[in-house]
Amino acid sequence: MAIVLLTIKVLLYLTLPLIVGVGVSLAITHIVNKPFKKYLALLIVVLLHLAIFEALGRSRPHGFYLSLVMWVSYIILIENYKIKDVWFFIISLFTAKKQSFLSLLLCLRYLQHRKIVLLSIAAVALSCALLIATDSLFTGFIETIESSVGKHLGDIILEVPSGSVMTEYGVLIESLESADCVQSATSVLRSQGLLLAAPGKVRPVVAWGVELQRRLNMTPLQESLLFQKEKPTEDISFEVPQDPDAVGGIVGIGVLAAPDEKTDLYNIEMIKEMLGRSMALTTGTVSSSGSQENSTDVNAATQRQFSRKVIKFKLVDVAVTGVYQFDESFVLLPIESLSQILYPDKGAVASTIHIRLKPGTDDKRAIAIIRGIWQNFAQERFDWYPFVSIESAKEMQKMQVVEYRKQMDVLLFIFGLISMGIIILVFCIFYLIVMTRRKDIGILKSCGLSSSSTAAIFVLFGTVVGFIGAVLGIGLGYVMIVNINPIERLMSVALGINLWKASTYMFTQIPNTMNWDSVLWVTAGGVIAAAVGSLIPAVAAARIRPVEILQYE
Amino acid sequence: MVQWILAWRYFFKRPISILAVAAVALCVFIVIVVMTVMSGLVEDFREKNHTFTGDCVIESDSLVGFGYYEDFLARLSNEPIVEAASPVARGMGIAVIPRVNDHYNIGVEIYGIDPDLHSRATNFAETLYYTEDISKAFIPVYNTSLPGCIPAVDVIPIGRRLPEGGYFHWNSPIVLEFIISAFPLNSKGVLARGGMDPINTKSFYYSDDSHSGLVKVDGAAVYLPLQQAQILCGMDTPFKRITSIHIKFKQGISVRKGVETIRALWTAYCAEYADKPGAELFGHVRVQSWQVNRRSIIAPMETEQVMMTMAFLMLGVITVFIIFVVLYMIISHKSKDIGILKSMGVSVQGILAVFLMFSVFVGLAGSIIGGAIGCLFLAKINGLEDWLYEHYQWQLWDRTIYAIGDIPNKIEPQVVTIIVISALVACLIGAAVPSFQAARKKPVESLQVNQL
Repeated sequence: MAIVLLTIKVLLYLTLPLIVGVGVSLAITHIVNKPFKKYLALLIVVLLHLAIFEALGRSRPHGFYLSLVMWVSYIILIENYKIKDVWFFIISLFTAKKQSFLSLLLCLRYLQHRKIVLLSIAAVALSCALLIATDSLFTGFIETIESSVGKHLGDIILEVPSGSVMTEYGVLIESLESADCVQSATSVLRSQGLLLAAPGKVRPVVAWGVELQRRLNMTPLQESLLFQKEKPTEDISFEVPQDPDAVGGIVGIGVLAAPDEKTDLYNIEMIKEMLGRSMALTTGTVSSSGSQENSTDVNAATQRQFSRKVIKFKLVDVAVTGVYQFDESFVLLPIESLSQILYPDKGAVASTIHIRLKPGTDDKRAIAIIRGIWQNFAQERFDWYPFVSIESAKEMQKMQVVEYRKQMDVLLFIFGLISMGIIILVFCIFYLIVMTRRKDIGILKSCGLSSSSTAAIFVLFGTVVGFIGAVLGIGLGYVMIVNINPIERLMSVALGINLWKASTYMFTQIPNTMNWDSVLWVTAGGVIAAAVGSLIPAVAAARIRPVEILQYE
Repeated sequence: MVQWILAWRYFFKRPISILAVAAVALCVFIVIVVMTVMSGLVEDFREKNHTFTGDCVIESDSLVGFGYYEDFLARLSNEPIVEAASPVARGMGIAVIPRVNDHYNIGVEIYGIDPDLHSRATNFAETLYYTEDISKAFIPVYNTSLPGCIPAVDVIPIGRRLPEGGYFHWNSPIVLEFIISAFPLNSKGVLARGGMDPINTKSFYYSDDSHSGLVKVDGAAVYLPLQQAQILCGMDTPFKRITSIHIKFKQGISVRKGVETIRALWTAYCAEYADKPGAELFGHVRVQSWQVNRRSIIAPMETEQVMMTMAFLMLGVITVFIIFVVLYMIISHKSKDIGILKSMGVSVQGILAVFLMFSVFVGLAGSIIGGAIGCLFLAKINGLEDWLYEHYQWQLWDRTIYAIGDIPNKIEPQVVTIIVISALVACLIGAAVPSFQAARKKPVESLQVNQL
């Protein structure tokens, strides 16, 4: 039943705008029959269509559909077609099988015998491949950005106001995990620090106090560990072999070493030698606070107590997540150890809760539920509870993603504009064919082929050329996208420059997933461009008069 | 002469030429606009890196740095090729700005400099907002007895970037304390004082902003007086150390030759001081030109430019196809003319020249039209963007995210020349095959009665 309803919905969705659009155009043509009013009628149609599509909602398929309907309307209005003409056209599609067969046969023969047609196919293929590759690369990149935070942190991030920490976070996690939309949750104590990793190697890092087992179960952290990856999850720990009293830490690979300038790969052997090495991390805060707003009393500032805390730990593992932002700045420590050093009088505390939602859960609904749980938990405990931030991982990346999408649209627009050359190319090639095949056309017409059928042969031919080119382009684009990482390595070796660097593009691997959503509009674009290019030659072919072409002189 | 006239006639008398010219013009227009903007961005970025670094850098790849630099600076000051040299002590630290947030640590890069020397070797003085007398750059105007610091413009995390570009500034520097901590490292790279007191912490006061236009620098750099930075990072004992010397050459000295001279001087200097304690630190020091020093930062942008050029080359193939087809059309219609010309004695080269010249006319006309429209568009591009932002809040780059001012629209003659030459070459490539076919036509075949 659901499938039937869905089918009806899709059919209505697809056909209704077309029927309305074409219907309105025909009606106006019928009413407004004076030639000078055609353009006014066209304006009315355009405005009506815009209103219809505005009501349907703005999206790429709607935009494409709007263009198609407008084009059909334009032809109907300018050529002054009547309802009976359209009806005749529809009937002829089903009845004139013989003529369609002739059209198809001629198309195939032209494709086989006119090698110059291959140029137009190649041009369409090239443009489609480039558009598909650009769109897929950008879309893949944007999707990786959107998903990386969610994948490595959680779908929802609950963060306390800066400077505050929450105690008894175990109670909150328990409440969260009992909610129907939450799969799991884990706490984090976050602090910026300075790490001395080896003699002379100092760098700013982000220290994370984590519940390791919970985090391993919730995120792909285990897959990214260099040394404990193969162990059963429950055996992975911060424990330092042969030194049970020492604090262990997991450090991002980029914190320990820089990747090779040319290959962008890390020296794993050198990193393995660092296992078990002692490191020092310093962090800390101003211990006393007081309002200094609008103060010009400098002495008030200098009287503040400030202390730094130094945590010494040993390296027990190295994380290679493939996300540059994490790999180059993260130091994971047991939350209890970090809490004890930073807040010795408060016990175990957390500054952030990472929450994984059950598959298919709506983010907004989940945030509302989590906010409710938070209020119940925090209302009695913390006076700062209303200022907590509860955000989805996607929302956190929104500003950046919008900017990337804009850049993608600008680039696709530029490439699309150059690809308009296809129209000129197809026009030239088809015009050449028409001019050199005037006798053939004359013979066909003398045998009874109508002018519209003659034109249809060339438009169909153009459409076939566009379709074949688009299919080849999609194939080429697919091969390029799927093999983009080997191609990049090959080009890097050949050109001697590193084309993709994690430090620049955030990820170690180029996203290599094909964006199938773009296939529809790229194919449609290729076919329409080729069909438009063939229109004038088709009209020229239709206007050929056998009596002039076939006369002996 | 006849070739010129014929090519000219074909170009003007055949309406199909307009399509070829339109295709070339469209391509040239887009490539000029995109390449001007891209190369403007790259050039701007290179220039910012150049002025930030100076012409030449003597730099240690370790934060431990190197010693005995004072004597070398004295020698550099006597070198006729050196305009200025500035010692820099660079280290890593964390900072807290209590007035902004008591509990928020910011990872910072400490640059210990002598503001006067550094401004002569780099463009440091130009990056400051309030300072007029560079020798007083580290003196806070609100209390001249306090130690001053100059944070880069994005280090203060209060979102001062304005939507139309630029930054919000107060009328004069406000009282802002920066509590900066760093690990003091000894000459072995380990914690000084045996790790007993592993952290150095000191308060500095905001005296000015530095805006270099380089995102990574503007988001992390804090400039301190050289001596203070040396104390903070443990570079003051047992002999004073720095991490780099930035050098500016005198006008007219080529960077390559200047770097070679400095390298030779440095090698001799290292040999002279080889038996001093801590001389092993010289082994980590490299003498580099600014291009080599900043290569890892500039290279990704240049690579993007290369990739964009390759993408346009791929699409440029379509233009080559169009020229090919147009020529092919003309030749297929002019086989009789070609036959007559050849029967009158015009050589194969002559016929070839006619059609190649035709393609050059197409290329030139397309380039002139495309180039003119491109230049016009570039001249108005910032006004257009302002208008779009004013009416539709649309910007090519969101200025609150990207450190880009105006869209670069300075037309580089060499870029335009390369594009025009590429367009002409593309036209010639497209015309090559049809022209050869035309040249090889035999009059005896094309002038047969059944071919007429």
